Parts: sequence; structure tokens; C-alpha cells
Amino acid sequence: MRHVTVPQDRIGVLIGEGGETLREVEDRADVRLDVDSETGSVEIDSTGDPVAAMVAPDIVKAIGRGFTPEVALSLLDHDLRRFELIDLADHTRNDNDMERKKGRIIGENGRTRELMEELTGAEVVVYGSTVGIIGGAEEVSAVRRAVGMLLDGAPHGAVYSFLERKSNELDDDVSFSAPR
Amino acid sequence: MSDSEDGKWGIAHVYASFNNTLITVTDETGAETIAKSSGGTVVKQNRDEASPYAAMQMAEVVAEEVKAAGLEGVHVRVRGPGGNLNKSTGPGAQATIRALARAGVEIGRIEDVTPIPHDGTKAPKNKRI
Repeated sequence: MRHVTVPQDRIGVLIGEGGETLREVEDRADVRLDVDSETGSVEIDSTGDPVAAMVAPDIVKAIGRGFTPEVALSLLDHDLRRFELIDLADHTRNDNDMERKKGRIIGENGRTRELMEELTGAEVVVYGSTVGIIGGAEEVSAVRRAVGMLLDGAPHGAVYSFLERKSNELDDDVSFSAPR
Repeated sequence: MSDSEDGKWGIAHVYASFNNTLITVTDETGAETIAKSSGGTVVKQNRDEASPYAAMQMAEVVAEEVKAAGLEGVHVRVRGPGGNLNKSTGPGAQATIRALARAGVEIGRIEDVTPIPHDGTKAPKNKRI
């Protein structure tokens, strides 16, 4: 049994219209979810296959960190798909600094975030104080490095050229990337 | 696994850090090692040792040895670095368990045995990501 906490404003998304999304997660991941909508705590119990149930906490956490249920459920599609979370609170000094660095990661009109998604093929969501990434192992680590560069104050141009290079590598290297 | 009516089970200890993945299959007491593997046995580059791809290949090799030893299935104990280090498991953990299951080894209980400090020593300072 595992517990995951979901922010108030994401509980609705997790449950879905008439409990639709919740049921889909339960069916596909072989788990039973018990949502406490007062506190946002979600209890995850495995009902059948423990191997499928292993991913369930990640799916719930991903929905809680701003991913759409469709993207979060894509974690079940392939073995090599990963969900990773970067907590910006660990890398910022104060609220102002957090705001500024979030802005750098998202970019003007979301340009930087979109470019990260396009060039690597991963899904990137900035929500609250976290950056969530869902994608193949190599894609996730590329985005992670790019976010690290932005947090360290690298100019956007340098990050874009890093991503371009990674994008070419990902296209060439077939053995380590997830087939799609 | 028709020849193992005694239904012997083992334990697969999976240590997944961000630099490597170690798989050790032991008997139920944990005293006798039946099979083991680590990232370096399947990949050339050091940075690939923790990759889920390497973990899958390791799990396939281990699964063969487990079946040869006549175990009916394995319980799984995953752990990350833990202690005052990273509490989450590395990329290899999920891939290992999935690959074991697909290779025909029955998976029993999956347990997280990452060591959690009851307030131990000071954690290392945050590194750049």
C-alpha cells in the first residue's frame, strides 16, 4: 500500500467526470485508489498484478503535478518510459528567485518548454514548484540536463543548441530509445 | 516450472541507483546467492550502467539462471541509495522487474527497502542537476 498526496486543484482531474479517469487508472494499473478529497491523500492498493501496480504511484503523482491523465497513463505503454520530478525549491533561494527561474524554464510564451518537448519527444510540465518530465529514459535525462543548465543561468541559446545536438543523437541512437 | 513442485521461492534484491543497477537473487533466507548481475556486465560505457535498457538485459540473464535453479518465482526487494542520499530508486528498478516478469519468472511481493534515516547524519549539499 502506498500513499501519494495530490494538490486540491488536481483532485478533480484525478477523479474525472463522474469518476471516469479514476476508474481508468484503476483498471489499467490493476489498483484500487482511495481518494480523500479533504486532504488530497490518495491510498493506492494493489488488487492484481503487482508488476502493473508498481507504476500506479507515479501515474497519480504525475496527474498531481500537472500532467493530463492521458499523458500520465502513457507511463504504462512502454517499459522504458519514466516519470521524473525536479523540485525547484531545492535549487532556488526565495520566492522571487523561484519565479524568475520558472520563467526561464518556460520561456517567452512557453517557447523554451515547447522546444524541450519538440526536440526530445518528452512531455514537460511546470506546475507550482516542480518541473515534471515524462518520456523515454534518454529523453528525460536530456530535458533534465537542459533544465539544470537553465537553473545554473546558461543563456537560452546555449540550451537550445544543446537540445538540438541531443535531438540528433536521439534520432541516430536506436538501441537506447523507446520505440514508438 | 513443472519440476519444482516443492515451490521454492527466492528473493530478487534490486539496488537501483542513478549510476548503476545491481541485481542479486538469493534464496528465501538471503544467505545463498543464486544469481547476480550488474550494469557493467552488459554495457561498455559507464554512464549506461544505470539505464533501463541495461537493466532489461541483466534481468534476462538473471531470469535464465533463476529458472535453471528451479525457483518457482521471486519476491522483489527494490532499494535506492537511501540513507542521507537520494531516496528514490534509479531508472533500472522498474525495467528490471518488468523484464523479469516478461522472461517468465513469477513475481511475488514487491517491497521497497530503501534505508530511511531516523535522522542520521547531515545530508550532502545539493548538487547541480
